[in-house]
Amino acid sequence: MARFAGGKAPFLRKYDEKDYGTQVIMKDFIIALVPVILFAWYKNGIQVYLDGNINFLEMLYPLFFILMGAIISTTMEGIFFYVTDKEHRGAKEISQKLSLSFAAIPGLILALLLPLYTPIWVLIFAAFVATIIGKMIFGGFGHNIFNPALLGYAVVGFTLMGVVNAAGGVFNASEVLIDSYAGATPLGVLASGKEIDYNILVKPYGTLSNFFIGTIPGALGETSALAILFGGLYLVIRKVIKWYTPVIYVGTVFVLSWMIGALSGETGLWFPTYSILTGGVMFAAVFMATEPVTTPTNVIGKVFFALFLGVLTVLFRFVGNLPEGVGTSLIFLNIFAIPIDKFTAVIRTKRFSKPGGLYFGILTVLVILLAVYTLVKAGSMYTAFQIPFIGWVI
Amino acid sequence: MIFQKAKGIYIEGRKGMCKINPLKEYLSPKYVYIPLLQRACNLESQVKVGDEVKIGQVVATNQQQFNIRVHASVSGKITAIKKVWHSSGKMVDAIEIENDFKNQLAETIKEEKNVDSLTREQLINKMELAGLTGLGGAGFPTHIKYKTKAKINSVIINAVECEPYLTCDYHFIISYPEKLLKGATYLMRAAEANEVVIAYKIYNKQIREALQPFLPKYPNVKLFPVKNVYPAGWEKYIVEQITKKTYTGLPAEAGAIVNNSATAIAYADIVENNIPLIARPITITGEGITKPSTFFVPIGTKVSELVEMSGGYIKGLDPIKYHYIAGGPMTGKAIFIDDLVVNDTLGAVIVKPVIEGLYPECLGCGKCADVCPVYLTPTEIKKAMERKDIKLLGDLNSNKCIECGLCSYICPSHIEITEAVVKGKTMLRKGGQ
Repeated sequence: MARFAGGKAPFLRKYDEKDYGTQVIMKDFIIALVPVILFAWYKNGIQVYLDGNINFLEMLYPLFFILMGAIISTTMEGIFFYVTDKEHRGAKEISQKLSLSFAAIPGLILALLLPLYTPIWVLIFAAFVATIIGKMIFGGFGHNIFNPALLGYAVVGFTLMGVVNAAGGVFNASEVLIDSYAGATPLGVLASGKEIDYNILVKPYGTLSNFFIGTIPGALGETSALAILFGGLYLVIRKVIKWYTPVIYVGTVFVLSWMIGALSGETGLWFPTYSILTGGVMFAAVFMATEPVTTPTNVIGKVFFALFLGVLTVLFRFVGNLPEGVGTSLIFLNIFAIPIDKFTAVIRTKRFSKPGGLYFGILTVLVILLAVYTLVKAGSMYTAFQIPFIGWVI
Repeated sequence: MIFQKAKGIYIEGRKGMCKINPLKEYLSPKYVYIPLLQRACNLESQVKVGDEVKIGQVVATNQQQFNIRVHASVSGKITAIKKVWHSSGKMVDAIEIENDFKNQLAETIKEEKNVDSLTREQLINKMELAGLTGLGGAGFPTHIKYKTKAKINSVIINAVECEPYLTCDYHFIISYPEKLLKGATYLMRAAEANEVVIAYKIYNKQIREALQPFLPKYPNVKLFPVKNVYPAGWEKYIVEQITKKTYTGLPAEAGAIVNNSATAIAYADIVENNIPLIARPITITGEGITKPSTFFVPIGTKVSELVEMSGGYIKGLDPIKYHYIAGGPMTGKAIFIDDLVVNDTLGAVIVKPVIEGLYPECLGCGKCADVCPVYLTPTEIKKAMERKDIKLLGDLNSNKCIECGLCSYICPSHIEITEAVVKGKTMLRKGGQ
């Protein structure tokens, strides 16, 4: 007789097979970022170098900047592990923890969210906020409530935007050439002007295809819809993300933007197209609205999350005075990912019988109310258009 | 898409190692140990130490629940009542019978003369007297299923065997194809159904080839191939595939009764020769076994003897680095000591290595919810279980879990999520009372 190992069923795990597991999912995320990184490098480095505006080393800077994001956040998490766990300070133990913490990804995304002319110390500060405050304080990978990269970006956006702008233009000659009012992004123009006019919004940057390809001013990674779509396609094929989350999110922004345009007398499809191609909507749709940790887990939750996100993005963008709106709405909704997950899980099991139907009704009504509020509010802001009596209610 | 239906997932079968070796009969072990436990029912011993018993003699019963009867599987002397390891993962009392190798049969075992004129009541009565239970794994007494008042249209024979590693049903069918068809037809008569459908996995061409020559004699029998997915052998999956109807409680609601193929083969012997349920097929397999094999053995046989006949454990096997699993790899139980005996529900013993590693945290990918065949959300059930939120556990239908193990199987972070859901299920059941 012999004593065998204990354990619980099932005794077969897909995890033990090759090419499967959370590590592979995270690796896929990095691979999906490659086209985005390459485009950022091409646009901010290679092309400018070919134009003869910068030297060879300066050409490598965009790549260096993005990689710095990954390196800085990994180092910070390593230091965090060293400081907080006094008993496991060996190099092997820390590298083991780092391999299960996936620090490089928030760092990479963070660097892609920032404009190229961001000073390195701002990047370091943002990485600190992202990895230490946004992730490690919450308990590390899998426990964070906010998307770490987004939190870092938001804190920099709210506090250090002046510094970033003041440092602008050094390594970014092509952007300065295209953009006469130095650094103002297309959405900045919309937020300051409050006018929906093709000649003001799109003309200065060429045509809408420039927006799709990404040769417009903006943060490193978020301008090229094309590169992002390649990454998204890869993620969908690898079954890392569900295709409908980005589609519903982008679709909601598209439809609501079209309605706002229509309300102010601009019915052309160029405006909603412009709306989804600017301000990081595409980047958020593929890489952040699908980020597994900070968004709902189940199918119905993902659908509602994408719907809410779309409505809130439009609300913050057109009603609030925030040019991008995407980051704010994502951070705001990250808080609600857990309750959305809980309620939609009940919907999933109970369908429309009690209490699933009640939750479904509440969520649907909330989405519709928010959408209507956005439309009415934005419609009245961008035109003289007024729905009778509605002004008293809102 | 939103209310998407999980259709089961492909899992590598790993049945090849055991399929190549044909079924072996091993009907006369020196000792057998009849466990005094069936499902969750304790049995009362009807014999004393020192009694002589014949094959087929009733040795233990439970009249309160389901009228369970258990029979001696060899003839000989009762030498002791002692504790043995049972496939439920516990130690239970068992009647030890020392084989006298005389193979004396009980008086009840005799050929049935008028098989064709047996009525439905007589056929069901035979199940009850023979102590026939489902040999697939759940071990539900068969006669209870057939005492239904619902109109039964089809009797479904489950020959799918969807769990990896297992080959006992496969070998049992290709060894006794005609017995299966006979037994299935008797089951059809016991249910007064119109047809018998034999569901098998589509790649098991050998099953179809073995049954095909006899099919013209049994016009009511149909073959039904199912996809190579797990859990294709789940009762509800098969019934939905075949009848296109769904149900909430028992398959009888959809006009069907499901039986395992081994049960049907055993029933053929019960009807024709009145041999009660005293033997079953069992697979001894896994990476830790030298020559994986399938056996047909009396109930109560020691598994260690079967392991020895399969060439023993592989050379240099360090037991603590291996799982010793009673049942399939997805739903079975890890047994600590390899002192297991064969009972009516034990279809396999698998010895496979433990794979250890460092695992990441849950990232919330939702794959567990996507694969769940009953559309539960395991992550939320786990959270509710950790908070002991009984109401939420109820809202999340935790009691519907069929413990198929798919959520743990698919988890990219190797989380014991099935275990957590089962805990939540138990908590709901206890809290609900």
